[in-house]
Amino acid sequence: MTALSPMKIIPLLLPAALLIILVVMWLPEYQGLLNNEYVHTFKTGFIGILLEALPFILAGALLSSLLQVFVPDEVISRWIPKRAIPGILFACVLGIVFPVCECGMIPLVRRLIQKGMPVYVAIVFILSGPILNPVVYGATFMAFRNHPELAYARMGLAFAAAFLIGLIVYCTVKKSPMRWSAQREMGDMAHSHAVRGGRLTSVFVHTSEEFFEMGKYLLIGCLLTAALQTFMVRDSLAAVGGQPLGSYLFMMGLAFALSLCSTSDAFVASTFLHTFPAGSLVAFMVFGPMLDFKNAMMLMALFKTKFALYLFFLIFACVFIGSVLLSPWL
Amino acid sequence: MNDSKSIRLHYLFRAAVLLAFAYYIWHLTNENALSYYVAPALARWIKLCPFPLGLMALSLIIQAVLGKSAMLCNCGHRLPASPLASGALYGLFLFPLLLGFVLPDRALGSAAAVKKGMSFSYSAVEPEKSVRFESKDPYAQEFTELAKILYEQPVIPVYPAIFSEAFGAIDMYKKQFEGKEIAVSGFVYRDQAGEDTGPFAVSRFLVQCCTADATPLGILVDPVRQQHLPADAWVKVQGKIRVVPQDGKELIRIEASSITPIAQPDAPYIYTSADSVETWHELQKFANKEK
Repeated sequence: MTALSPMKIIPLLLPAALLIILVVMWLPEYQGLLNNEYVHTFKTGFIGILLEALPFILAGALLSSLLQVFVPDEVISRWIPKRAIPGILFACVLGIVFPVCECGMIPLVRRLIQKGMPVYVAIVFILSGPILNPVVYGATFMAFRNHPELAYARMGLAFAAAFLIGLIVYCTVKKSPMRWSAQREMGDMAHSHAVRGGRLTSVFVHTSEEFFEMGKYLLIGCLLTAALQTFMVRDSLAAVGGQPLGSYLFMMGLAFALSLCSTSDAFVASTFLHTFPAGSLVAFMVFGPMLDFKNAMMLMALFKTKFALYLFFLIFACVFIGSVLLSPWL
Repeated sequence: MNDSKSIRLHYLFRAAVLLAFAYYIWHLTNENALSYYVAPALARWIKLCPFPLGLMALSLIIQAVLGKSAMLCNCGHRLPASPLASGALYGLFLFPLLLGFVLPDRALGSAAAVKKGMSFSYSAVEPEKSVRFESKDPYAQEFTELAKILYEQPVIPVYPAIFSEAFGAIDMYKKQFEGKEIAVSGFVYRDQAGEDTGPFAVSRFLVQCCTADATPLGILVDPVRQQHLPADAWVKVQGKIRVVPQDGKELIRIEASSITPIAQPDAPYIYTSADSVETWHELQKFANKEK
């Protein structure tokens, strides 16, 4: 491995510094170059998504560090039911107690897994937590004033899909799908308490480690989402929506591309109420919080690529089939 | 492996990035620019972020300066191994800051509305057929209440605080509201970039959480008199409500008697109100006091 000594950074820092100076000096004169509508839309979208996620990812990182420093491992494994089905049901209701958005959830879940939470329980929590909670239920209910059945369908499908995926993962995945082995983390924990300035400093040092670790995936996700929102015309995708099952694919694709927060996506879905079948709106509202650009990036950070792709496929298949099956009752 | 010196360097650099983020948020708060990016409910939490960010930076600095070398380890946490990787990592974190400080803060406008798809009707409600303000649907009660109140006004003021609800209520009972006088403000939106004297829509972005979920809502305006209005200009429109057929749907359109250019409001977006009728009464009380 290459060592990162200051001597080796300097050759890189110098051109970087020069570039920054150039940018700072020249940009004010060439505002015209940047001053087009695309750049502004991109900036407003990008900073908006980033600012929205920031408090949640900070809260998630802070919670995860508190867990690491103050909660002994045995406590968490004692709470979680040992058998598969009660364990999965436990994860489904966990969202009601911890109404965290998906950005805050992944750092938290990573720590929980290291502390002994079984992977299938963690996955159920990641999938159901952002939907099965009172805040999201209220927001969905508000958005579909005339159609309360859509709010029920959303909750029901999220529960069913998370439950099923948890069960499939429990039955099929035996090896640890984590990107980093628990061993390395244990080594780190052994001296994590010995940091200068006591436990509080240690909490914040770990929080910032988490923040940079997850932040880079979040940033890439935000960049891609903002770019898509800036350049993709929604109507251009709507052509797919004309096919019988196309509207389901369209709405799920849209949910993936938009990366909305689960508390606000119901309102966006409601603008499609008369254009697309109700089942596809449910697919939008269940698929989006489970899998979108932003959190796909973060899931890739958490799990091995192969397992992450398997999980993406499971989510897609369950939500697609579930929402199509639900549609006759909507 | 990373030696302790380079870990210290990483810590200091990270502390600087965290402080820069904290400063950026403080700067946005000071400039009142947070409302261009997120809804007020969320802005409250974002304003708190500089505190944990500052504490994190402080802890990193303490570690980097005072920490004993043996305690600085990179066993579990994966600091970037090569200079290139660290350059990419910190570049990624500095990019939003650069974007934030270099470009002026601007609200979303027509360009974003085209991409997101403007809605000219409030699609979450079914239009009511009945002549009176009655709704059997319990979920539409709030809109019906609001519609009754709005109907009694000589000129219906569409307050920004209840823009979407008023739009919904009028859209739901559009037949009854036909011919009523209405006053509304927003930015100028046109479907096609063309001559800037023709018909347009007076529009606002409805924001739930942040700009990603912004939904453009627009009311069609027939300017009647020719008037030079560029896209994204802010205007106050007063006129009579008409119901016009368009693309197989019935939409409301304002037959404008006056269009006045105004300055962009401090809060360019609109938000949903938990109880629009209650908000209306409060706004009225406030307006009466002003008089």
